[in-house]
Amino acid sequence: MKVKNVLIALTAVAFGAGASLALAQAKPEVLVKQRQAAMTLQGKYFGPLAAMAQGKAPFNAAVVARNAGFLEALSHMPWDGFDASTKDAKSEALPLVFSDTAKFKQASENLQAAVVKLVAASKGGDEAATKAAIGGVGKTCGGCHDDFRHKS
Amino acid sequence: MTVTTMTATGRKPLATPSAVLPCALRATLLALLLAAAGAAAAQGNAKQGEYLAEAGGCVGCHTDSKEGAVPFAGGRALKTPFGTFYGPNITPDPQAGIGRWSEADFVRAMRNGVRPDGANLFPAFPYPSFTKISDKDLSDLWAYLRTLPPSGRVSREHDLGLFFRWRPLLTVWKWMFFKPGEFVPDAKATAEVNRGAYLTQALGHCGECHTPRNFLGAPIQSRYLAGGKGPEGKTVPNLTPAHLKKLSDGELQDFLTLGVTADGDVPAEAMGEVIRNTTSKLLPADLKALIAYLRALAPIAGD
Repeated sequence: MKVKNVLIALTAVAFGAGASLALAQAKPEVLVKQRQAAMTLQGKYFGPLAAMAQGKAPFNAAVVARNAGFLEALSHMPWDGFDASTKDAKSEALPLVFSDTAKFKQASENLQAAVVKLVAASKGGDEAATKAAIGGVGKTCGGCHDDFRHKS
Repeated sequence: MTVTTMTATGRKPLATPSAVLPCALRATLLALLLAAAGAAAAQGNAKQGEYLAEAGGCVGCHTDSKEGAVPFAGGRALKTPFGTFYGPNITPDPQAGIGRWSEADFVRAMRNGVRPDGANLFPAFPYPSFTKISDKDLSDLWAYLRTLPPSGRVSREHDLGLFFRWRPLLTVWKWMFFKPGEFVPDAKATAEVNRGAYLTQALGHCGECHTPRNFLGAPIQSRYLAGGKGPEGKTVPNLTPAHLKKLSDGELQDFLTLGVTADGDVPAEAMGEVIRNTTSKLLPADLKALIAYLRALAPIAGD
């Protein structure tokens, strides 16, 4: 009997958890915060590479390879945060993000493609090619900011 | 301007009916002409001109945005409320480029916004800024442009609204909004601030994007560099201390050299390109002067 009750209770908890997982829709402010966190981390791992590409910091292939790997995952993270529910949430995203979703998606894919190139270059051992690939990533960041962000 | 005198020689002899001249004589004449042209080109310092062209960001509008495009051969689209302008080919190709221009033609275009045939140039070509470039710098710029490999890429016609394509109307626009003339240093400002002002106002033509425009497309001078809507309708930041004070000189220097802020943020590509083509290439003293000038501006509120 006792065992049965425990089982029922556990099942209820499991269902409850499952239900809350399926239903969980983060609040718009939270989605904004999360996508901004992804952007912030992209900045954290891209910034030093830009300094290396410009010769301002000494080129360090190991750091480039590590950061490129981080960026590969990060470059996929912000986009589901631009959910339609966040349209009116306070952020630097321009309305075009939500009205021209195809162009916005394209811009995110441009970034991902540029990061894939950077990952490949960072493994190739060619410093000049790696620096060029870093520049390529920077351009895709800026290309998207051009149309979709209002920096205040 | 000493340039006006020597250009007359550069053009007229070309119109001589050469058919009547014996071949050898023609060759001699040609050699003399080329020598004259060479001497004319040598007036300016092409190496210095290359630096000035970077400080002016010429390559931005005068190069197609496609990958692998020939620098200075034109093609870049600038979408404005008045239509789309396409940066023309300014390589020395005689047909497609400006190979037939004289130095005086170039000076007139830069200083007065006039084509060699006398027609008005559209101020999408920022002659309201370039008019301030010094005679010496114009001469060096011209010398540099003559060293570019000629490209046969044909310039594309601008695609403008019905009323805006009529060049004579620009005479009125120029009368209302355009003040030709070389940069005049501010006697009360330091040499460094004046150098920064020259780089910002004349060569860098920063105000063309960072100053909001009225409905006739003329910059609103009371809001010089105070940001707002840029020529392509996108928001452009305020460069006066009201906004820029949140960045230190070092942070600004890094931003204008590296194209990222200290936290790795990347500006819109419109500025990213300016950083790559221009500000990252400025000599350290010039970049410092530019920042000193921005610091000395009167703060104007708003972004």
